[in-house]
Amino acid sequence: MPASSLSIAGAPPVRRVLSRGLLWTLVALMAAWSLGPIVWIFISSISVRAELYSVPPHWIPHEPTLAPYRTVLFEGEGFRGAAGQAAAELFRAGLLNSLIISTSTTLLVMALAPLLGYVFGRIEFPGRRALFYFVLALIALPGWPIIIGLFPMMSSLRLLDTRLGLVILLFTYRIPFEMWFMTGYFRAVPAEIEDAARVDGCTRLQALYRVTIHMVRPGIVAVSIISFLHSWNFFLVPLIMAYTLRSKPLTVTITEFVSQYYVHWDLMSAATILAIVPPVVMVILFQRHIVRGLSAGAIR
Amino acid sequence: MLAGAVLVPTLALVVLFGHIPALSSLRLAFSRYNIKQPARRGFVGLDNFVHVLTDDAFHAALGRVAYFMAAAIVAVLAIGLVFALVLNRDFRGRALLRTVIIIPWAIPPVVSGHAWRWIFNGEYGALNGLLWQAGIIGEYRFWLAEPLTALSAAVLVFVWRFVPFVAVLFLGALQTIPGELYESAAVDGAGPVRRFRHVTVPAVTAIAAIALVLTGITAFNVFDEIYALTGPQEITRTPMIYNYETTFVRGRFGRGAAMAYLSGLVLFALSIVYMRLALRERDV
Repeated sequence: MPASSLSIAGAPPVRRVLSRGLLWTLVALMAAWSLGPIVWIFISSISVRAELYSVPPHWIPHEPTLAPYRTVLFEGEGFRGAAGQAAAELFRAGLLNSLIISTSTTLLVMALAPLLGYVFGRIEFPGRRALFYFVLALIALPGWPIIIGLFPMMSSLRLLDTRLGLVILLFTYRIPFEMWFMTGYFRAVPAEIEDAARVDGCTRLQALYRVTIHMVRPGIVAVSIISFLHSWNFFLVPLIMAYTLRSKPLTVTITEFVSQYYVHWDLMSAATILAIVPPVVMVILFQRHIVRGLSAGAIR
Repeated sequence: MLAGAVLVPTLALVVLFGHIPALSSLRLAFSRYNIKQPARRGFVGLDNFVHVLTDDAFHAALGRVAYFMAAAIVAVLAIGLVFALVLNRDFRGRALLRTVIIIPWAIPPVVSGHAWRWIFNGEYGALNGLLWQAGIIGEYRFWLAEPLTALSAAVLVFVWRFVPFVAVLFLGALQTIPGELYESAAVDGAGPVRRFRHVTVPAVTAIAAIALVLTGITAFNVFDEIYALTGPQEITRTPMIYNYETTFVRGRFGRGAAMAYLSGLVLFALSIVYMRLALRERDV
């Protein structure tokens, strides 16, 4: 007997209630799965060491403290990373490098990705398809062979351990994705709109900047945010190519909080929470754009 | 004019920092080249490739990544589809939930690796505490010290990061299904299971293929999470970790390049499949 026939007149059908119940259970599980680990790290970051290292864990700290944040941001307290640098030194230098590297890369992508999308999406010129696939091939090329070949080259170009070198690499490896994505966006804007502007006496560039660019703005926002997140999360290449605080981003300096013999989990937790603030803020502000950018398929 | 001004610098960067290093490491793959002994450099033919292919440690690494990929693909696709089905329903707080589930994807993988390392900690970790308090385990376990649990932990961290991406892909496909299709199927007497099989499944098949290949490629390439979770240890040594150790810890650039090209063949094949599927979806 189907469950719904059990319902009494006026009451919601049993199956409807069941599926609502299932829905809310799943919603709760999804939220717990996504946020649980982060909440636990936050709790660890405001725990005193005696509570942090207790069995079973103190799920709610009895005497919350901000001391780990103070240590990571300002003091450094006895703790030294692999190269003998204090925690605060590692954190602040990493933060500054990450901010500079991510912002520069994002600005470059914002400037060039729409223009590339325009060139490939709108202008007909000989060899357009061949060039497009030539750049796109970078996506299919596996990373490791390139990195291994890059290292000696970056060394002879004197780009090892520089922020400039990291920005160049980030930009070069993002641009095929962003170009692909923006080309699709420009294709979707009807050419007549731009033609109308040009009939009104605009040059090609004027038509682009006055008319078309506004129609692809959501695409530009999506590419910029995803470039920022990607640069902020960059790890393997700087792990190999940055070896002093001149260029090490936060992802690398945080890793040095793990010394060979002992990990200060309170400091690590505070640093983790601080390091995820920019991406989390981005997600909260631009959730729609990120979803659109991701579901366009070209971006990962 | 415009085309030239934009294309020339982009192409220059792509060639200089993309295509050229790929070729120069191909040359390295046929050379003896340890960066710590740069003087002893020379052509050695296929020696590096033979060495890698007959190296037991490399075989073991391939075995680990095969397990990693299989487990990750199954988990990511299954959980991603459930996430998308929930997000496709109409309920209060849907936008908030969508924001919340994206967060694991947006934060640095190496940082989430560290966070999970603390959760899996054998002495004071939250997972041990939770399972012990729930009566599931009798005593604390060192999850990251045993091969199978350590590798599975790495899979979990990767799945945690990658599910949002695949969920969003599935959600995009689900949103293209017109609501009337479900209604008319229901009118025709199709129950939830049949509606799922005959309406939902066909709508997500194409995107599932893309998601499968992308999950496979990304899982093969995983480095950050494993590096943070267990460090370069044998029990979680995948080809990527092994390659890092060989090349950048021991300085054997020649052998590392050969290993990179051999692993790269697998990835390159997968990437071609991905690009074909994706380009078919969005024609250029």
